[in-house]
Amino acid sequence: MRKTITFLLVILLSGISVAFAQNVTVKGKVSDNTGLALPGVTVKVKGSQAGTVTDVNGNFSINSPQNGTLSFSYVGYAAKDVPIANQSVINVVLDYNNTGLDEVIVVGYGTQKKAVVTGAIATVSSADMQDQQITRIDDALEGRAAGVFVTQSSGSPGAGPSIAIRGSNSLTNNSPLFVIDGVIWDNGGYDLVNPNDVESINVLKDASAAIYGSRASNGVILITTKKGKLGAPKLTYDFYYGSQDVTKKLQLANATQYATLRNEAVTNDGGTAPFANPAAFGVGTNWQDVIFNTAPIQSHTLAVSGASETSSYYSSLGYLDQKGIVSPNASDYKRMNIKVNTTFTPKKWIVFGENFTYAYTRSTTFFNTNSEFGGPLSDAINIDPITPVLATNISSLPNAAIYNSESAFLVRNAAGIPYGISNYVANEITNPLAAEANQNGNYNWSHNLVGDVYLQIEPIKGLKFKTEIAGKQAFYGTESFTPLFYLNSNTSNLVNTTQNRSSNQNLEWNWDNTVSYTKTIGLHNFTILAGTSAEEESGRSASISYIGEPAFTSQTASFNYALPAASRIGSGGDSQPLTRASTFGRVEYNYDEKYLFTGIVRRDGSSKFGSDRVYGTFPSASLGWVATREKFLSGNNFVDYLKVRASYGVLGNELALTAFQFTPIVGSAGGGSYVINGQLVTGFGPNTLANPLLQWERTKSADIGFDAIIFKNISVTLDFYDKKTNDLLIQQPLPAYAGLSAAPYANAGDIENKGVELELGYNKKISKDFGFGVNGNISYNNNKVLGIGILPFQDFGSFQSSAYSLQRNMPGEPQNEFFGFKTEGVFHSQAEINAYTDAAGNLIQPNAKPGDLKFADISGTGPLGPKDRTFLGNPIPNWIYGVNAHANYKQFDISLFGQGVWGNKIFQGYRRLDLSTANYPIEALNAWTPSNPNSNYPRLTVADPNGNFKNPSDFYLQSGAYFRIKTLQLGWTLPTSMANKWDVNKLRVYVSSNNLATITKYNGYDPEVAGGIERGVYPQARTLMVGLDITL
Amino acid sequence: MKRNYLKYTLIVLLGMGVISCKKSFLQTTPKGEFLESNYYQTPAQAFSGLVAAYDPLVTETGGLDETYINPLGPLNSASDDAYAGGGGSTDTPDWQVWNNYTVNPAQGPQAGFWKVNFLGVSRTNTILSKLGNVPGLDPATAKRYTGEALFLRAHYLFDLVRLFKNIPLITTPLDPSTIYNQPQAAPTAVYAQIESDLTTAIADLPATVVTTENGRVTGGAAVALLGKVYLYEQKWAQAATQLAIVNGTTPGGVTPTYNYQLQASFAAIFNPNNKFNSEAILEIPHTSTQNYSWNNWDSFKGNVYVQMTGPRDFSDATYAGGWGFNPITTQLHDAMQNANDPRYGYTILNLDSLSALEHKTYTPSYQNTGYFSLKYAPLTKFKSATGTVELNYPNDYIEIRLADTYLMEAEALVQSGGNAGRALALLTAVRARVGLAPVPATLANIYNERRFELALEGHRWFDLVRWGQAATTLAFKGFKAGTNELLPIPLNELSNTKLVQNPGYAK
Repeated sequence: MRKTITFLLVILLSGISVAFAQNVTVKGKVSDNTGLALPGVTVKVKGSQAGTVTDVNGNFSINSPQNGTLSFSYVGYAAKDVPIANQSVINVVLDYNNTGLDEVIVVGYGTQKKAVVTGAIATVSSADMQDQQITRIDDALEGRAAGVFVTQSSGSPGAGPSIAIRGSNSLTNNSPLFVIDGVIWDNGGYDLVNPNDVESINVLKDASAAIYGSRASNGVILITTKKGKLGAPKLTYDFYYGSQDVTKKLQLANATQYATLRNEAVTNDGGTAPFANPAAFGVGTNWQDVIFNTAPIQSHTLAVSGASETSSYYSSLGYLDQKGIVSPNASDYKRMNIKVNTTFTPKKWIVFGENFTYAYTRSTTFFNTNSEFGGPLSDAINIDPITPVLATNISSLPNAAIYNSESAFLVRNAAGIPYGISNYVANEITNPLAAEANQNGNYNWSHNLVGDVYLQIEPIKGLKFKTEIAGKQAFYGTESFTPLFYLNSNTSNLVNTTQNRSSNQNLEWNWDNTVSYTKTIGLHNFTILAGTSAEEESGRSASISYIGEPAFTSQTASFNYALPAASRIGSGGDSQPLTRASTFGRVEYNYDEKYLFTGIVRRDGSSKFGSDRVYGTFPSASLGWVATREKFLSGNNFVDYLKVRASYGVLGNELALTAFQFTPIVGSAGGGSYVINGQLVTGFGPNTLANPLLQWERTKSADIGFDAIIFKNISVTLDFYDKKTNDLLIQQPLPAYAGLSAAPYANAGDIENKGVELELGYNKKISKDFGFGVNGNISYNNNKVLGIGILPFQDFGSFQSSAYSLQRNMPGEPQNEFFGFKTEGVFHSQAEINAYTDAAGNLIQPNAKPGDLKFADISGTGPLGPKDRTFLGNPIPNWIYGVNAHANYKQFDISLFGQGVWGNKIFQGYRRLDLSTANYPIEALNAWTPSNPNSNYPRLTVADPNGNFKNPSDFYLQSGAYFRIKTLQLGWTLPTSMANKWDVNKLRVYVSSNNLATITKYNGYDPEVAGGIERGVYPQARTLMVGLDITL
Repeated sequence: MKRNYLKYTLIVLLGMGVISCKKSFLQTTPKGEFLESNYYQTPAQAFSGLVAAYDPLVTETGGLDETYINPLGPLNSASDDAYAGGGGSTDTPDWQVWNNYTVNPAQGPQAGFWKVNFLGVSRTNTILSKLGNVPGLDPATAKRYTGEALFLRAHYLFDLVRLFKNIPLITTPLDPSTIYNQPQAAPTAVYAQIESDLTTAIADLPATVVTTENGRVTGGAAVALLGKVYLYEQKWAQAATQLAIVNGTTPGGVTPTYNYQLQASFAAIFNPNNKFNSEAILEIPHTSTQNYSWNNWDSFKGNVYVQMTGPRDFSDATYAGGWGFNPITTQLHDAMQNANDPRYGYTILNLDSLSALEHKTYTPSYQNTGYFSLKYAPLTKFKSATGTVELNYPNDYIEIRLADTYLMEAEALVQSGGNAGRALALLTAVRARVGLAPVPATLANIYNERRFELALEGHRWFDLVRWGQAATTLAFKGFKAGTNELLPIPLNELSNTKLVQNPGYAK
């Protein structure tokens, strides 16, 4: 019955159409050249807004003028135009074409067809991301794009990675600029975007980034979120659930080994062995087993989208809940995202649109990671294995007196049993479970509202005016409660509880206006863009603490308690104002899509600079030549497409600076305080020196490369680049005798990055049932510091309490190079020590004893001193690569994705040296002793007169090279016949794993250590997942 | 037609947006801070600039590595009266390496002393350069501010020259172009500057301050410091002359003009409830009222040294626990006990006997002797009710007190062959206060009196060095003659500068 009515309606409607609009109904089926029906193909009447999409079986039906032309387009297939020519049924075969040449690339304030792009732009599509379950969009770039170096800084839930594009262009800040749906996000917060909402990521790596002028030199990452596509509403639901685990633990001494090693260290120094019978301790506590746990993760995204000829919409709800593998009760992350975007075309020449995102996050990670100073990892590494997790039998413990005297303050488990307190290791190092229990009830929260509204009018064809207002309003804060506790003699709170509430709000807004004109005259194609942008950032914060509430747990704490004024302590703050105003323009020209030119200029003004240097201008130009459009190459069987491109431009960077760094600020930072008659009085003084000439860092970026498609299925992109950054912003390290509290910024340095990038792809649909593809990328970057102004070098990075810095920047050397002593094995006898002299006969290492490290005498004069240090290796890899293989056979698909780095060093210094009783790595068992004379591991010593352990040296360095299988995924898609029966568009289930295996020689938790200095990094979890994607 | 109106109106509106950005949009003013060009325009702002110059006097932290704590800690660690102590041989290594004389350019307390005192020099130079041009600042106030700043500069320079000897002498705000080119001045030139600053300060400063100004420097402090400086220069007669001004004509009586007088009770001198008492000449103030937490590590004005010297894991009705730093040597303990000195009970806590008496325990710290300092001991009654207890002890540090100036004058008189009777009277007054009989005013007796009277107050190491006794007395700690009389120039200061390392320290 329903079918009959539908049929009648169709007849009726088509009759009307014919009668009034001279239109015909055209039906047909779209399939690919293997015969596979293609659902979701966009079918449009050329030259009008009218359009539809094919259904699950590839069928379509559309009204069109009799003499019209239908255009068919589908991602991954070559677009096709078919004249109707009075046909009522048109069946179309689209050619599989993974070249993406017809794809549109976002280039900033506009788009370009990939075939005519002249910049070096990498693309990561939603299809790439679908193979990988990531929680943040910035994670999507790791290993996916040549020249984009992404390092996970922490495996902590919600933690963001660090990203550097084509090497490090700055000594201060290498963060690329993020632009999300055309709006600049330069203050982080990228975790607010649900990766499932992202359509594509384009990375501007070369001078094409000049459209973002003063913020472009570190590269620009353009993220485009999903929009509604032509057709009826589509509902999708994506879900996965996984289980996360640590893959590798450190090899540390057990209790007996610990006691043995302690005895050895103390007796080596001439002391009395502290432990009479090490074996009595057994294996003791494995603190790593205590802190690491299996932790769940789940993600849900529900989205609906669709579009008609006059409007489009996409809205989604996302939810992520991830527990951490370290101390899961004190480490988790929850996020809810709501996203809505719509466009309306009330008149053919007006588009009104908006994008709106709301995100709520709640996380409970309060502890230090990658720090020697406490936190569960540092605790587990450094606390002695003798201490029990729980003090079940207090009287048997050597420090029973502490348990008794501090009984009221002991931290206890649910059963009331106190957590063990170390008798040997104190300071910041505590029982990690007790520390975790103290965090109970504390959390960070954020509400973020990000949105933009735009209006675009097109008064004559090709001329578009657009105005867009965007705002990012963030509210965030922390709720915490500090109970009374006793963790050890240095870490306790015995007098008053404190409840703290802090809240902050930041607002950034920008107003962009652009005008663009696109025109084709014969074979000449032009697009001209001009625009302005104004921006302002502001923020404020408030924090209140109630001290000594009559409540002893976070559950009973409340700011409703009436306390005397002196116990209610508040503070607040205002961000310094920041404004920017810019004008920019771009000219794109191509002749027959064969000879290509793009010119860009942007002039930025920023309140970060003094009146002499408010504005900076950043130009770029790029050329392209599509050789395969020349007659002499047409029709060859080898190269299907070849584009040669070159670009040059000047890009800026001001990220190092906050407001007012061109001028001395008189404030309490330069003034301190003093007590007069018991009252604190605040001093005011200048914090630093003036530099009215302060300006942007400028990167001159040159790129030459080509994009090619050979043998139909192989794509090749090769780029060479040469970048030189001048006027590097450096905080000139002043001698302390200058007596200033802050070092002034100056433009004083130069750095270069040269490199080569190769992307290779092979994608082939072999039959209707079988498709296969491999994509890989590899890049090499050579970084060199050319100058640091008047300074011969710049030292930075601390190693515990050593005054020797860990890293040095020096002209001629790569940035951030490790700098310290070079070891040459150990001295095996006093004779060797005595023989180690300089030309004048002075002992090089007068404090050494047999078994101590022999350090290279770089200076040629004894005794060993600061001048004997040298460059030891670099924390930043030269080589980064990624490879992705995928195949599908009938209903099954499999994908494998891996990435790796090569050429870097990791400094592994996680043992606390100021705590002589800290636990030892297992390697210490092999330490040099008279009875183990062939070892090259130095003798154990607490006093360490030779600096075996105190001196930063290559003793602590290891290769950081690794290859990691990031994702292995196996999926199964419901066959079309069953999908039809179940009335679903698509249903896919999969099992997947993240970080399945890592091949590395590095013996720490994880070779991904941002910055290359390991102090107990929070490792990436290995996750095993099951997931489901449904489209209705 | 209608449609075109709409179109053109929209175009005009959008066009206005494109051209509406003005330069003034980019000129912002700081919140809660001032541009230097807009500051020092009122008397109140001048005073805030002066407070900035005072601030480094009470810097508990702020070494180049932000770990330096209170001058007393390292100075006591280096002396024969105390060890470094603490949690272990590597706890607060800057103290440890001065304690055992393995101090080297890369490690030691020099970074802290150097940075804090040069911060003071810079801040005094800044305010001194501004005081001449402050609208509305009356000449009398300007003169007093100048005197205070000059005193402070002299104080910072004196600490630098006696610890490092070879320092850059910077007396005006530095021009950026000359920062890296500062040479080390001759020590005599530094001393000349100190003398000149103090001489002017004495003329500019009020002799005493009213209670509401407690903590600001006085003419008396300037005279005392000038006398002390002369003593270090071995200008004995000039030292005696200056010190006599603060000591008054009748040792034991009240000093005219300055109103100094020995406290009747030795214990009362250090009592936080008796701040700015008649014996205190230069008192460095601390506070317990600011609720400092570890977040304030770089800026707090509580006295953390008090916490550091307390015994670990111990508390009773009187004594709060601490971190076991600066355990007292048996040398000092035995010397005072054998002499049956009445100050023993106010200087040294024999915790082993106390804990045995009370059936309590404590955790022995590194280098534990069982003897703890009492002058700056953490007392239960002075634990702060708010903030982090260890950072909020109220105890002031009395850097110069009348008994010290008595003994310095006595020493100067004996050295210069001056009035022997007055030297005896000064020594006798110090002893009489604690009920000790007079002894002859010989150098040996004066030296011994200084040790017992001023034990653990930060003078001993300087005294041993200037008396030439350091090499022998500190031999048990590894003191190397010809090197350890000075601290090394901090390693990082040698980078990019013209500075030359002190003798004996590795380059």
